[in-house]
Amino acid sequence: MSRSSFLIFVAAVFVSILMQTTFLTVFLTSPFKPDLLLVILVFIALRSSYEVGTPAAWMLGLLKDVFGGLYLGLNGFTFLIIFLIIKGMADRLYAESCFLFVFAVMGATLACVSGNLLLLVFTNTPGIAYSIGNNLIPHLLANAFAASLVALIPGFTEDEDLA
Amino acid sequence: MDYFKKYVLVIVAAVGIFLSLIFYLVNIPKSREANFIERTALSVLTPAMMPVQKTSLYFRGAWDEYINLVNVRRENTKLQDKIKELNNEILAGKETQQANVRLAKLLEMKGSIKATTLTATVIGEDVSSWFSTIIIDRGSSSGLKEGMAVVAAEGVVGQIVKVSSSSSRVLLLTDHASGIAATIQRSRARGVVKGKGEGLCSLEFTTREEDVKVGDIVITSGIGGIFMKGLPIGEVTMVRRGEYGIFQTVTIRPAVNSSHLEEVLVVLRGGYE
Repeated sequence: MSRSSFLIFVAAVFVSILMQTTFLTVFLTSPFKPDLLLVILVFIALRSSYEVGTPAAWMLGLLKDVFGGLYLGLNGFTFLIIFLIIKGMADRLYAESCFLFVFAVMGATLACVSGNLLLLVFTNTPGIAYSIGNNLIPHLLANAFAASLVALIPGFTEDEDLA
Repeated sequence: MDYFKKYVLVIVAAVGIFLSLIFYLVNIPKSREANFIERTALSVLTPAMMPVQKTSLYFRGAWDEYINLVNVRRENTKLQDKIKELNNEILAGKETQQANVRLAKLLEMKGSIKATTLTATVIGEDVSSWFSTIIIDRGSSSGLKEGMAVVAAEGVVGQIVKVSSSSSRVLLLTDHASGIAATIQRSRARGVVKGKGEGLCSLEFTTREEDVKVGDIVITSGIGGIFMKGLPIGEVTMVRRGEYGIFQTVTIRPAVNSSHLEEVLVVLRGGYE
């Protein structure tokens, strides 16, 4: 990963966390709040190498756990798995496609929800499945919308050096 | 003859000046009445004067209006700026007024709690959609510890779960992982208030025989030592007793609306070591 790519990555993560914890919460109700860290994860999975992306994915998940929920490592694990799955397929796909990106984010959202549900079996929070199920569709759509906005950023379709 | 031709212009001019002087002098006594020349000229020119005057007035009006418009535009911009400034002042005033009301209520609550409390401001919310936590601007440097109770003017907010040096995360009453020992104020029936997500809670482990009605106020029972006894938790909105089972299903609407929370009080008592 080049220095500029690294700086852009750090800035994007920083801005995403700030947006999700402070800015978006003022204007959007909880189910409609997009998971910007997940969007970044999918972008990394489609564009970066295993060496760079694997620790980055896990760190992104940990960051999500730091600013959300109670269980540190829940999203760290989930994000890592999602990264490895997408990365495993990305080499065989046209990774610069906007449609692929949006669909990958939707798939990653479902995978993240499933992973969270499976891991939450270890905690005493039985009612959370109801909340997750109830909020799933708006959350999925919000993530897809956020991904489609990211895909509109100039230079998205260019093959950037994230390796 | 040549002489005359040479000075004809001068002679004509001199005669003309002389005649005009004579004409003037003759007309001095009749200065208040129009003579034939005046009348004719007036009669001929007046019809033409009206439209010309109107046209002139129109153009003068247009010019004046244009100039005025330039000024009006400037003035309008100035006034709009002034309106914005005044609106901002009004908004700031209203904001201060509302903050004053909120803080006064918080102060009232602070007075009713028999322990040291610390005011904190809500600076963020949970990044995920299915957990209910908030971030406050006080941390271990202010003496906060995990497990301390957090309340607002209306009642219980939750419990501190993660503390850093300058900020902390508060697990809200409505989170699925939250559980607080509670009592129905009227009948003293006991139970545990657990979060249901989506801004609601349920009172669990309350047996079917216990007297619980819609509209009952739920307060903290003080059992467990984290929350002091008697703090308002919420109001019972639904009671359902099934045909079978030991417990009844009680839904509670929390007294505190966490989505509108701005300032909270942290009770500096207890906490996990």
